[in-house]
Amino acid sequence: MMKRNLILSAVVLLFITGITGCKKLFDIKPKDTLDESQMYQNVYDADAAVIGIYGKFMGLADRYVVLNELRADLLDVTNNADENLRQLSTHTVTESNPYASPKPFYELILNCNDVLEHFLVMKKENKMKEAEFNQRYSDIGALRSFLYLQLGIHYGQVPYVTSSLKNVDDVKNSANFPKLPFNVLLDSLVNFTESLPYKDVYPTGTNLNISVDGYTTEKFYVNKKVLLGDLYLWKNNYQKAAEYYRQVMETGTQGVVDGRYYSFYKLGWDSDGAIDHYISYSRAGDASTLIWDSQWRIMFEQAYGSKGFDREWVWVLPFDSKFQPENSLIKLFSPVGGSYLVQPSQQVFDLWKSETQKVSAQGGAVPYDARGVLSTMTIGGQPVAMKFLYNYINYATQSPASVLTKSGKWFLFRETQLHLRFAEAANRAGKYRLAWGFWNNGISGAYPAPGSDVTLYHNTLSEPYPFNFDARNSGSSGVPYYRSDWYRNIGIRNRANLPNVDIPVADSLLSIESGLIKEEALENAFEGTRWADLLRVAIRRNDPSFIADKVYDKLRKSGISSGAASAARAKLMAKDWYLPFKW
Amino acid sequence: MISRFKWFSSFAACLAILLLNSCSKATDDHNSVTDPSLNKNLLELIKSNPQLSTFAKYLTQTGYDQVIASTKDYTVFAPSNTAIATLDATVINDPVKLKKFVGNHITAQLCNTNSVTVTKRLLMLSGKYNNMLRAKIELANITTANQYASNGLLQITDNMLPALDNCWEFLNNNSNAAAKQKNFMLSLFRNVYDVTNAIVTGVNPITGDPIYQAGTDSIYTNLFWNKVHDLRNESKQYTLFMLADGTWDSEVAKFLPYYVTNTTDSNTLVTSWNVVKDFAVDTVYDPATIPDTVLSKFGTKLPVEKSAIVKTIKTSNGIVYIMNKLNVQPASKFKTYLIQGENYAGYLVNRRSNTYFREKFNPVTGNNYTDVLVYNHGVSSFWLRYDIEEVPSIKYKAYWVAVNDFILAVPPAVPLTFTQKLAPGLPTATTFPYTTVTEKNYNEVYIGEFTNSKYSPVYNIYLVAAATTVKETNPLMCDYIKLVPSL
Repeated sequence: MMKRNLILSAVVLLFITGITGCKKLFDIKPKDTLDESQMYQNVYDADAAVIGIYGKFMGLADRYVVLNELRADLLDVTNNADENLRQLSTHTVTESNPYASPKPFYELILNCNDVLEHFLVMKKENKMKEAEFNQRYSDIGALRSFLYLQLGIHYGQVPYVTSSLKNVDDVKNSANFPKLPFNVLLDSLVNFTESLPYKDVYPTGTNLNISVDGYTTEKFYVNKKVLLGDLYLWKNNYQKAAEYYRQVMETGTQGVVDGRYYSFYKLGWDSDGAIDHYISYSRAGDASTLIWDSQWRIMFEQAYGSKGFDREWVWVLPFDSKFQPENSLIKLFSPVGGSYLVQPSQQVFDLWKSETQKVSAQGGAVPYDARGVLSTMTIGGQPVAMKFLYNYINYATQSPASVLTKSGKWFLFRETQLHLRFAEAANRAGKYRLAWGFWNNGISGAYPAPGSDVTLYHNTLSEPYPFNFDARNSGSSGVPYYRSDWYRNIGIRNRANLPNVDIPVADSLLSIESGLIKEEALENAFEGTRWADLLRVAIRRNDPSFIADKVYDKLRKSGISSGAASAARAKLMAKDWYLPFKW
Repeated sequence: MISRFKWFSSFAACLAILLLNSCSKATDDHNSVTDPSLNKNLLELIKSNPQLSTFAKYLTQTGYDQVIASTKDYTVFAPSNTAIATLDATVINDPVKLKKFVGNHITAQLCNTNSVTVTKRLLMLSGKYNNMLRAKIELANITTANQYASNGLLQITDNMLPALDNCWEFLNNNSNAAAKQKNFMLSLFRNVYDVTNAIVTGVNPITGDPIYQAGTDSIYTNLFWNKVHDLRNESKQYTLFMLADGTWDSEVAKFLPYYVTNTTDSNTLVTSWNVVKDFAVDTVYDPATIPDTVLSKFGTKLPVEKSAIVKTIKTSNGIVYIMNKLNVQPASKFKTYLIQGENYAGYLVNRRSNTYFREKFNPVTGNNYTDVLVYNHGVSSFWLRYDIEEVPSIKYKAYWVAVNDFILAVPPAVPLTFTQKLAPGLPTATTFPYTTVTEKNYNEVYIGEFTNSKYSPVYNIYLVAAATTVKETNPLMCDYIKLVPSL
């Protein structure tokens, strides 16, 4: 008996020493991987963290497009789509639907939080210079705000977590993280994003604004001023929203006065089809001569760093067969090399069909909006939304150069959205004519001059900032001579070869606002902003029919889910706009 | 204590050994084939049935016994001895015919009477098809259904499934086929250029085109197969109408004036062709349910009077009706031509750079349309040519839709006043005068009547601009031209 007790105590003793000894005994850093404590040593490590965050962000591309477009009215499911996608389209999402889970957003948000905390430590320990810290901290901070804005748009009430958690499931602990209503969330986001110390893009020549693998990285990162403009627009703070949008619109107004100066984010012409992005015909009046290898369509195919690409796009991330992640958008959209899960809705075709182009010199007007012809293709008898596929499928041959080389781009924001949202803010701020001008035939078109002296015309200089634009153009013979900063601005409908829209005076505010949202559908269909646009206006007007009727029309005309139209309308009319917050 | 444990463990060991031993027998019982019919293949199953001895004998004679004894799956529709007793001696004594006959009772699919709930067309080993619906296949009833063997199903029937001629074989071989129409259809064999099986002997050094061995670059084929329906095709089903000789003559005579040519022979040939091309349709109409009007492949209405059906012949791929009356109306035979302005086949001089294909909206029809505009072409009497095919020698009413919405780019916007004309046959034809193209007129404009005096395999019609080089007065503009038969 005694002997057995002795052995037992010896074993216990050994155990205890073993446990206490473990810490020192096994606390050896792995030699082939980086431990967290060794990660953030200098600014290059910080850059790696930023790139890592954006790499992971690209994994959300298909989710972003699906949530923002399939829930709205321009994109529809195909017969190939599974039940989960169909639920999104018909607004019958159940809690088990993986597309509806906010978890992937939170995983990235927690990564952002982690990076932000480490950046703060680095700054404290002088491992980064003040300026370097400001740029990188603000970037990741703004991206987190962007992600939260997306969560708010799709889930309504969400927990606002700003500390790093090791386990994403802790977010669900409502005791620690109460859900904030969308409106309160927006306040938090405005406060945080406003407080970021650096709001410009990374300066040229810094490590994060370089050319790598054939891509200039300048447009990879979220544009903080656009984000702030959006946040203020959601908050109905039109003055602040317009101010931030205006700052982005003036990005090119510096340095040498050349084509770039006049057209960068200004929707200005440069007498070059690769930059102008018009809807045009090689012989006006002959509909069969629609230009597709240049002009409007080419903006979706142009290379990073090319002039036309630079002046049009604000935020784009590249998919390339040479690096991860894989292009999830080809799987979503393409019938070749993909699964063809979504297609343009009949509703968006009808929208394009309802437009008539400008009367040409050769008489008559083409009875549809040619942006529809260039945004979609019929491949193998099936309608395909093409914008995300033009780097993969050749427009002329209708097939990929190489099926396995799945390059492409994730388009997030461009100058038309910038101008339309500025116009939305300006319109609500009472500047109807200015808003109408950006939408139709430009500033000088909205303020035409009766003669050749344009001193008092072509401008809104009497307005306060940010509504004071100078678009004076005296022509070659006008005296005095003017070529002002905005003289090349031509307006979104004008660029697309569409006539101006006449607005009834009595109801100009709402007519212009509805027109702007419709124009964004025609111009930016499938680019991932439709649901947000509809929801923002529906909330602002307290008019659920603004969103419900459009979704109803899509479903009604859809051959696949027309049975769900009335139920979806009733749900949206009851302001039940959000997805279940569950994972 | 110890002894009890030892005893228990040896007992357990014994039990385990016992269980293991008995296992093999237990599985044997559960998995072994107990259904005796599954131990037999189809041939054995047929041979074991004295009712099917005649059919079994024919199987052995034709060699099909080896086929249905194989491991592939088949369904055999076996006629009982009573059903097969009436088989024609010419079939029994002709090995080829007998093989076809027996093969017509076997299909390489599994056909259960319970699962064939809609008519199913079965490909038999004879190469012909039989229609099956539940317990009925063609005219035979399945009396003993769904007997299974190791390699398929056996269906015992109360009637034979004779290997009938198909529609073309009937026409070719059977004395019941109406002679004049038959002779005409058999006269339609031509050598047609087809290089599918051609032998290449060299390459033309100048053009790079292949040179084919003489006689291999064409196939000898019938126009009816190519242009109407290939009545030899077993996988489809057709209805063929044949006119008794007198009716054929009068029907051809009725249409002779509409296909005037230079000689009597070609007049008859063209007319006969145009009469006969409407007589086969790719739908099978049963005598009981044939409608009073059948629409031909070319849109001609065939008025079918049941009392005019002289004979009905069932074929392996459809049905043939011998008729003593089939009074096709000329008005139904002749079609309206709709010529799209932008689909021109030729021009006086190439002015593509002055030619606009415009897509526009027509408020009268509510539809979009495409038209053609040739502007500033600088050619006096410029014309566009349109080709239409196989035009009968009849009178036509001509219409066009031409919308003059042509507005000068320079303000004040003034619509141009210009004229154009339609010239049937030749660009210089003065059949119609120049007509002013009215401003914003989206309706059809009646131009007038013209007569095509001779049947034309290809007929040219011209849209001619004004005889001037002034761009404001010589544009050419057209949505479509419509030619309506006027009898």
